[in-house]
Amino acid sequence: MPKVVSIHSYRGGTGKSNFTANLSTTVALQGYRVGVVDTDVPSPGIHNLFCLEPEQMVKTLNNYLWGEIPIEEAAYDVSANVGVEGAGKLFLIPSSVKADDIAKILKDGYDVKLLNDGFRSFVKALKLDYLFIDTHPGLSKETFLSIAISHVLILILRPDKQDYQGTAITVDVARQLKVRKMLLAINKAHSKLNLEALKQKVEETYNETVAGVFPLSEDVVQLASEGVFCVRYPEHLVSQEFRKVAQQIIEG
Amino acid sequence: MSSLGDLQSLASSISSVTSPFRNYLHDLYEKYRSLDDGKVADYIPELALAKPEWFGICIVTADGQVFEVGDCQQLFTVQSISKAFVFGLALEDHGREYVNSKVSVEPTGEAFNSIVLDEKTNRPYNPMVNAGAIATADLIKGKNSTERLKRLLEMFKRYTGRDHEINVPVFLSEKETGYRNKAMAYLMLNFGMVSNKIDETLDLYFQQCSVLVNAKDLAMLAATLANGGINPVTKERAIDEKYVQDVISVMLTCGMYDASGEWAYRVGIPAKSGVGGGITAVVPGKLGIGTFSPPLDAKGNSTRGIKVCEDISKDFGLHLFNVAKPERNLQEWIAGGDSINDW
Repeated sequence: MPKVVSIHSYRGGTGKSNFTANLSTTVALQGYRVGVVDTDVPSPGIHNLFCLEPEQMVKTLNNYLWGEIPIEEAAYDVSANVGVEGAGKLFLIPSSVKADDIAKILKDGYDVKLLNDGFRSFVKALKLDYLFIDTHPGLSKETFLSIAISHVLILILRPDKQDYQGTAITVDVARQLKVRKMLLAINKAHSKLNLEALKQKVEETYNETVAGVFPLSEDVVQLASEGVFCVRYPEHLVSQEFRKVAQQIIEG
Repeated sequence: MSSLGDLQSLASSISSVTSPFRNYLHDLYEKYRSLDDGKVADYIPELALAKPEWFGICIVTADGQVFEVGDCQQLFTVQSISKAFVFGLALEDHGREYVNSKVSVEPTGEAFNSIVLDEKTNRPYNPMVNAGAIATADLIKGKNSTERLKRLLEMFKRYTGRDHEINVPVFLSEKETGYRNKAMAYLMLNFGMVSNKIDETLDLYFQQCSVLVNAKDLAMLAATLANGGINPVTKERAIDEKYVQDVISVMLTCGMYDASGEWAYRVGIPAKSGVGGGITAVVPGKLGIGTFSPPLDAKGNSTRGIKVCEDISKDFGLHLFNVAKPERNLQEWIAGGDSINDW
């Protein structure tokens, strides 16, 4: 049975897209067929990490939501771009970065049922083992939908008061939507923090498992979203932490 | 409403989108979307405008949950599906005995537009063939044509919970080209089976066929019957409880034109189809199915609609006479939960 994993954070700038790209690639590197959908329609970006240029993105999620194409026509095989070889495959459905397209979808909205149906068609058409959904920060209908259909919801937060409060709200919503499994991931933890103590405190606060703690890394910043970090630096601490999280998703 | 109430209602609206049962319907939609059999009705130009790729599936449960997939808001003319419901209205207007004296309830095995009456009694065979439907429309009470039409539209509204309109071009085309139906009406007048206000009754008949509905309306019509005559969403009564069985049983024996016997055998869900591409199917006590897809088979039934009903019947054991344990449990699939593998 395919597994759906949604990656979400209440606030922007937590590193959601970076996290999604690294985690999905880590899973694909283990020989699985993995799909990623960028549902961040107002501010898409994850395609950069997969080295997919806007001029290559002829069809996007937007075209599907407007009823113009079957969703699989907007899927791009980015395996080679990020160095996934062998049985593993990585497909991305990007959102459009054209200002007109973004304006149109914000103005007219779209039918949330279509998004649900599209996820299913994507999984079936490309025989995916895992579907990762990258979301827009905050709460919106695509957030609600992706939470409701997820087998695993990963909430990313930074050690920051605004993030703590927002995460509490999202946790409430996720429980209301009867989410099957929730994991927390702490990102951008600065070097002076005791990571183990931080993990414990967060787990106690939300009564949910922390799947990984990622230190604030100059190395990640230096890559500047031009590629997937864990492929470039497989032995880096950050990459090791991603493998830990991936294992929890595969086994859980 | 409190914020918690809003959150709950939003959560439940999302659940109806992501429920395993709707996912099942979506997979059915995908399975049959590419089915390329059948031909869109073209005996009048307005019907030929329908796009063959239009396809919607809607299910409304007897407790009012709505599951929609595909083109469920696309309007089309109800056509023959109206016959079942107008029959119900005639029963309410006159009672069983009188209505049965004008229209029999015997399947014909003949085409829907055949000009045949029962030789002994001169009655048309059943309310689902054109002759029987015209005789039934004749029975609808009202001071004048306007009031009769109004009563008919109000009836549809009680079933579906929304206002309905007539597609005027379709009505006028049907009226202009309906020589065969006129011939039938005059034949019945000759035998004293219909009143002499023939033109008015034929207009009403053509109007009832030209009522605009969508797949969701069809599911709602069926769900209202399944729920004992009460619309499960608005809670309004659409038809007297005691006549629900009359309508459903005639749907079972005569609802799918001259494919009714095979339908009862293979699908076993009382249903009525129309040349607009609709099928409405009633699973008593449980749910109503509405399907919409314009391409029709040689007998005038929607090809995709037939496939969808067949699959739903088989997968959930909804054949009226099924006693075997079905592959899927309807209640569990509707309620959702981790035990269901909807992939």
